[in-house]
Parts: sequence; structure tokens; C-alpha cells
Amino acid sequence: MKFYKPTSLPDLFRIVNDIEGKKYYLAGGTDINVQIKKDMIKDEPVIFINHLNELRGIFEVEDKIIIGCLTSFKDLLESILIKKHLPYLQKSLNAFASPLLQAMASLGGNLANGSPTADLTPPLLVLDAKLKILSRSKMRIIPLAEFYRGYKQFNLKHNELIGAIIISKQAEAGYDCFHRKIGSRKALTIAKIGLAGLKKAENGIIKDIKLAAGSLNEYPRRLIKLEEYLVGKSIDSLNFTDIEEILQKEITPISDLRSDKEYRWQVTVNLLETFLKN
Amino acid sequence: MRDIRKFDARPKLDGSWKFLDDITYEGMIYGQLLYSTCHHGIIKKIQFPKDFELNEFTIVSAKDIVGKNLVPEPEPDQPFMAEDKVSHFGQIILGIAHPSKRTLISFIKQIQIDYQELPAITDIEECLENEDNVFGREIIIDHRREIELESNWIHSHEIYYTPHQEHAYMEPQGIISIWNPADRKMFVKATCQCPYFVKHAVEAIMGKAINEAVIETSEGIGGAFGGKEDFPNVLAGITSLLAYKSGKPVKIMLDRADDFKITTNRHPSRIELHTYTDPATKKIMKLNVDYRLDAGAYQTLSPVVLSRGVLHASGGYNIPDVYIRGRLFRSNTPSNGAFRGFGVPQALAAIEAHADKIASQLNMDPYDFRKTNIFKVGNEFPSTQKITENHLEECLDRVVQKSDYRKKLQEFKEWNVAHKDKKGIGISMGYHGGGYTGNGEKILNSKIKIIIEKDAKVKIFVSSTDMGQGAHTTLAQMFFEAIKHPREKCWVQLPNTSKTPDSGPTVASRTIYIIGTMLQKFALKIKDEMGFTNLEEYVASHQSDFPREFQIKFTPDPTVSFDDNNFRGTAYKDYSWAACVSEIYYHADTYQIELKKIWNVLDIGHPVNLKIAEGQVEGGNIQAMGYALTEFFYKKDFGRMQGFTDYSIPLSLDIPEIDIEFIHTDSDVAKGLGEIPMDYPAPAIRNAFHNAAGIFINEYPLTPERIFKQISSPKNHRI
Repeated sequence: MKFYKPTSLPDLFRIVNDIEGKKYYLAGGTDINVQIKKDMIKDEPVIFINHLNELRGIFEVEDKIIIGCLTSFKDLLESILIKKHLPYLQKSLNAFASPLLQAMASLGGNLANGSPTADLTPPLLVLDAKLKILSRSKMRIIPLAEFYRGYKQFNLKHNELIGAIIISKQAEAGYDCFHRKIGSRKALTIAKIGLAGLKKAENGIIKDIKLAAGSLNEYPRRLIKLEEYLVGKSIDSLNFTDIEEILQKEITPISDLRSDKEYRWQVTVNLLETFLKN
Repeated sequence: MRDIRKFDARPKLDGSWKFLDDITYEGMIYGQLLYSTCHHGIIKKIQFPKDFELNEFTIVSAKDIVGKNLVPEPEPDQPFMAEDKVSHFGQIILGIAHPSKRTLISFIKQIQIDYQELPAITDIEECLENEDNVFGREIIIDHRREIELESNWIHSHEIYYTPHQEHAYMEPQGIISIWNPADRKMFVKATCQCPYFVKHAVEAIMGKAINEAVIETSEGIGGAFGGKEDFPNVLAGITSLLAYKSGKPVKIMLDRADDFKITTNRHPSRIELHTYTDPATKKIMKLNVDYRLDAGAYQTLSPVVLSRGVLHASGGYNIPDVYIRGRLFRSNTPSNGAFRGFGVPQALAAIEAHADKIASQLNMDPYDFRKTNIFKVGNEFPSTQKITENHLEECLDRVVQKSDYRKKLQEFKEWNVAHKDKKGIGISMGYHGGGYTGNGEKILNSKIKIIIEKDAKVKIFVSSTDMGQGAHTTLAQMFFEAIKHPREKCWVQLPNTSKTPDSGPTVASRTIYIIGTMLQKFALKIKDEMGFTNLEEYVASHQSDFPREFQIKFTPDPTVSFDDNNFRGTAYKDYSWAACVSEIYYHADTYQIELKKIWNVLDIGHPVNLKIAEGQVEGGNIQAMGYALTEFFYKKDFGRMQGFTDYSIPLSLDIPEIDIEFIHTDSDVAKGLGEIPMDYPAPAIRNAFHNAAGIFINEYPLTPERIFKQISSPKNHRI
């Protein structure tokens, strides 16, 4: 196993450019170390990046909040900027792991690990978060929703990495916000279901809605078809037969050691109902 | 009853006390176990990876055993290492040691073993439902009377299941062995509950190769809960064999995943109950119990778990006609072993749920039903032992009163009508016999040594270990409080089999009850015999008599007798009693049970150290909560268990408010406490869920998945 420790950001991109094929970036290490121990990472090179402080920090730039990929969950939980503009996101952070892991784990790492159960991805998806993807000579910005392409498959070239997460300061404004993580206990648990939603209603009519689900597909994703269906509907006369029919096309819950598909399905429906009706 | 601060608290906090993995010896090398990943099969071939220098490794197999390949205690049927056949996943095949931990790990990962697979029983259902699968001796407690069944008696028939449970001690299993060829002694440093079991195991595997094995515990033992009663015997045997062969000190420290996969767990159970209740008097007239435990691949200590289980299987009820049948069943999974409660949590899971079942058939409140049927002075256990006190009923009345049970029951009933979510409250009660079952304590014949030094310092030598439960603080306290000796002049020594006599294993809620009581009586005896009021002054004025050594032996109560063949007589001299109320909140949208509060009322006699006693109750409650709600092995697939990620124990945010009250604290006896707080809470949680949602579930844990299944298609569901 080969490890690299770049001396600077340019050095990082030089190393990245030179290594063709699969590689891992080690930030807080809370996922990578476990994967190395379990032999899930065996021969691929691992590049330390946690010391590259250019990639850390929470900034206000015009109408956006920019979060460097190395920013820890703890930094986000304590950030006055996040508290002021994105209180819903800040509250959602509490669902993540434990204080020890919150101090080490980075937001970029949580997204790049690509776990279907990642706790923060559903809230970030409904906030229309964008990713700033960096490489040696280029920078591109893509919606988070377009980052995942399958189980641990990413819209990322071999010489790229997530540099920052960008969220509009207005992303939550005027919405009813919802986030539920269902696990086997109150904290430090891997989600059986993660559901996030933003809703705007006027006179009992849904004007705008954003929904995202984790642990229910190969990667966390927006429930676009359901969103399209729901816009314009009256909250008091929602047709749950229709809703369930559409939802069936949007999620593929499975049975595994944490839960089973029947439970995951029914609880998702129940939680959606709670959110939509309240 | 004073709160003396645990004397291990400070050195554990400041890090000065060493746990096993903190200890190294000069020239020490690291060992690891290679275990079977096949549930049942014949070992065809073991192939070592080519790109390693084989001669750098010390490798031991069953062939290297000088003595016997049989763990001598408790039931001698388990080999230390597999010979040509494996009987369960996790069975140890090789012990391997190397100076570099990293090289060792990568070497072991690349070893290939080919098996010829044989049919295996790995499913609890398959194991416990198959009548041909019985293993070892069957136990019958026959307390039948000539009672005619009346046609209007209410028949209640249910089968209750409980799963495996993992001890989840903080410190995994570990051993260091050092071979000294000069005096032919094997020195073993262990994190264990029973140094003498370890000694006998090491002497058995080493046979004539050594003169003696000396076992010393590490200063800190990071929890055990029964898990370090029998597995350390196996581990110490193999580590010692590696030390002997390599000539170097060897340390084996299991990592969490291996500890989960290969060490003992709580026995899964299947308990079938038939009761017949007279609807006129509301009294249970007849009880039939079929009590089955999954022993795993070897019996080891399952027979004693079984005997304690059946002796507690009829609960706190006075039933004229009782028939209890207890059996062990074999499976191709690691041997199940000791775990706090030792068969009683399974027994109460059945009988205490069943009480609520009958109460609901009678349309009666569970408390009133228990009051009608609870045993009283003059009644007897199915073993014919007489009930001599009504303290169980006092516990029950007190816990109902202090939890405001009646009022809450009414309030919740009204609240539940108006809400989708539900609130519920449940009761349970139980008892736990202190010390070894039947004639066990007589046979154990525990010994203690005491040295009183010239400066009046008292050194206590016992093989009872302090694994975090505070035993050494409390044992010393029992001595110095009896004769008002200063606390700083009374110390329990680190257990070491060359210095401390065999005071028996640290199990069975017996340490304070048996060993502590011996110390207390001894203190009072020397006070009487020497005629002092102040030991310090006495020693000062009799300097020539000191240092002085005393040997103390257990004196059995001549009135206590038990027939091991027919299970009749005094099974336990003293019982601890307890009753419990639990309050839950049921989330209808996620099918989750949230435990809000547990009230405990216990009679454990005299609580020597109130803080330590309360700590035991809190810990037991939390373990029971995990047992009832979240802990299980996924399809018993040991290979997949990686540790705490997949096995959900309650954490601090999950822990409810815990209310504890001890009654009859002015008693002369300090009875057993270690296990009882684990025994009774799980059925109270289950009964509270029944009260909330009106759903009976006969199997732990009450996961939201199981509850959802029960709601969507009501029948008995298994995971």
C-alpha cells in the first residue's frame, strides 16, 4: 500500500495527475481507516490531504456559502455563518455519528465516500447544494444531484477531487424543512432510512417541494418524479395511492442486516405523510 | 451502607493502572488465532502463503499439545484447538506468533484452508425445534399434584424466544504468557474472572511440559459480564503453548471483530409454556414448562446455565402443579457461555410475559393478577424449597406505588385514544438465587488468606477479580467496616494463583454474598477472639505476634441440602427479590419503542456500598434494555459480525431515567446483586409495549421491523 503526503495544493494536483486509476483521499480518515482495516482498500494509493488548509473553512461569498471540502462536522455545527443562513442544515448535522467522529470527519469526505446511507447527503440535496470540482488545470461546478452515478460511482475524473460545497444563502428561506434519520438507536447509528424535504405551500396548495432519500437506493437521491407530481396539489386532498405508486419508481429499499425492505418502504411512506400533511 | 469511593477510580482515570494491552515484556512477540470460517467440516488442507519466511513464525496446532486437548472446566468436552474436524464457525485451528503484528496479520489473512463441508445447524429455530438434537443431560423438576383439570379453566399456551446476546465488555479478551524454563513455570497475565479456571486450563494443555502455571490478572479488567469466565481458559492455553514453543513472552489480544465472532454469547432460548387458570379464583392451577437452550457446539458450562434457568422458570408464582423440563440443544455455532443472569433472563422472558398474557385473557390488570398469584411465606418453589419471606410481594407493591402505576395506566389509556403514538406501562418481577446452585458452594469450598502486618495493614488474598464492578472496594469495605478499621489500612491484593488461595470464580452473584460475608465474619471473629476494640492499638501492643497470616475456609450451612439428581431441596440459601415498572413511548410512524423510565425496587439484603450497588442496577437495566429492544445477531451469521457497527447496544442518549430503591437494607446479609438487575427489566419493557399497543410479541428484541411485521400480518414472526 502506497501513501502520499503532498506539500501543497499544486503538489497535490501533480501527484493526482501522475496516478492513473483509482485512488483515495484521506481527510479525517473516519471512513478510509475502517475500509483499510476491513481490506476494502488494499492496493490503491492513499493521499493525505487533511493538512492542506486551503481546502478548509466556511466562507460567505455574495449570495452563497462556500464550504471547503475538509471542513469538519464540528466546524459546521459551531459556525455562526451556518447558524445564521442555514439553520436547517446545522440541525441536520446532529444526526451524524458522535462528537468524536464529528470532530474528525469532513463534509467532502462524507460526500465522496458515496455511502448510500450518508447522513448529510439528503439535506444537502434538497438545499440544491453544488460541488466545486477541482483538477490541476480546471474547475467545474456541478449540482450535487449529478455527482452520483451508481453505488460508489461518481461523476469525477481520475485527476479531480471535490474542492468545496456551495449552497445558496437563500436555500432554506421560506420553506418548511424536514429531516428524519431512522436508525437502531438515537445516535451513532447507520441510517435505515434518511429522508429530507423542503416545502412551500400557499393556501393549502403545494407551491414548491424538494425531497431526497438516503439508504433507499444505491446512492442518496432526489425524488424528482414525486416532486413534480406534488407541485400544485392540495395538502388536504393528497392521494396516497398515487404517491405510493410514484414513490415505488423512485426508491428501491432492500433487506439487509440493518432492516428489511417492507419496513423501509412503509416507514418512508409514513414519514412522507407526516411531512406532507403538516 | 456507606459510599466509599472505588479505589480503582483514580488510577483508571489518570491512566496509571495497566490493562492487558498496556503491558509489554522484553522480547515479547504477538500472537493471533486462526479460526474456522466453516460451520461444520473436515479440514482437508492448510496452505501457507509463499512469500513469507515460515521459520520466523511460531505456529501451534492441536498436534503441539503436550497435555490434553480438552478444556477441563466446567464440562470437559471442548477441545482447545480443532484436530481434523471443525464443529463451529470460529473454532480455533492454529495459534500463530511473530515479532511484528503487521506481518502476522497479513500472513494470517493469506492462509488458505480447504474444508470438506458437512451439514451444519446454524439457525436457532432449526437447533431448538428439532427434538433429536438434544445434548447432554435433561433436567426435570416434577412438582405435579393429583389435580383434575376443570373444563372451564383457561388454557394459555405460548412459545417464547430469546436471541444471542453479546457481552460487549469494553476491553476485548487478551492473554500474555511467559515461559520460564529455569523453574518450569508458565506465568500468565490475564483479563479474566476466574484465575483458577485459567490455571487448570493451562496446566491441562501443557501437561508434563511444565511444573506449574501461575495466573495473575492485570490491574484493570475492562468488564466481563460472564464473558471472561470460560473463554480466557481456551485463549490462555493456546497463548501458553505459543510461549512454550517460541521461548518468548507471547501476547494475544483479540480485536473487536474476532471477539464478536469467536467468543461466547448468551444462550438463545425457546421456552414453551402451558398454563391452566381457574377463572373463578384467577389462580394459575397448573404450569408446564419446556425450557430449551441452544448450547452451541460444546456443552462447556451450559448444564449449569440450564439448571439455574429451570429453577427460576416458574417465576414468583404459587402454582400447585408444576412440571418443568429443561434441555440443551446442539448447534454449529461457538459455545454459548456465562452471561449475567445465567438462564434467568430467558426464564423471566417467558413467565413474566405469560403472566400478562393470562391477565389479558382474564381481562385483569397485570398487577392485580400478580397479587393474586404471587407466592407467600409457607408456599414452596417447584424444588420444594419453602418460601420464608414475602419480600417479593413487598418489592412489587412498593414499585407499583412509587411509579404511580395505577394513575399512569388510566392516564395513558385516555391519552392513547386521542393519539396515533401510544404510551404504555408494564410490570415484571423476579428473583435470583445467590451463589452456586445446590451443593455448588459446598463443593467449591472457597478459601481466603489474610495477612495482618506490623503496621496493622490488612492484606486480603482472594481469587475474586475486580473487573470494574467494584468487588475489591466492597470486599475490603466489608472487612474494615465490621471492625471499624481505617479504610486505607485494608487492601485486596491483585489475584495471583501463587499467592491467593482459590476463593472460587468471580461469578454467580457470589463475590460479596459468599466471599464478602466470609471476610466480615472473620473480622468479627478475630475481634472477639483477640478481644480488641481497635485493631491498630491491638497490633501496636502485640508487635511480636505480627505479621500474622490467617487462612479462612467456607463453612457450609448444615441445614442446606439439595438433591442434584431430582432437583429437590434448597437450591439457593438466599434469594434476592426485585420488581420493576417500565414506561415506554411507542412511535406509530416508525414502529419504534422509546424507553422513558424504569423503576426498580430490590431486596438484596444489606447493600454494602450504595453507589456501587446502584451502579450495578443501572448497568443491568441498560443491558436488559438492549436485550429487549435492539441487540441481535443478523441471521446468526457470525462471519458477518464486525462489532459495534452492526450490533446495536444502547448509548447514553438512549438510556432512560432509572429509579432505584433497596428495601430491607437493615438485613444482616449482603445478598447477590450482580445479575438480578439484568433479569427482570426486559419483560417489563415488553409488557409496557403490550399495554401501549395491545400487541403481544413473544420474541426479543422488539425491533421496529418485528413490530411492523406483527402489525401487518399478525402471527409469530422470527427474524
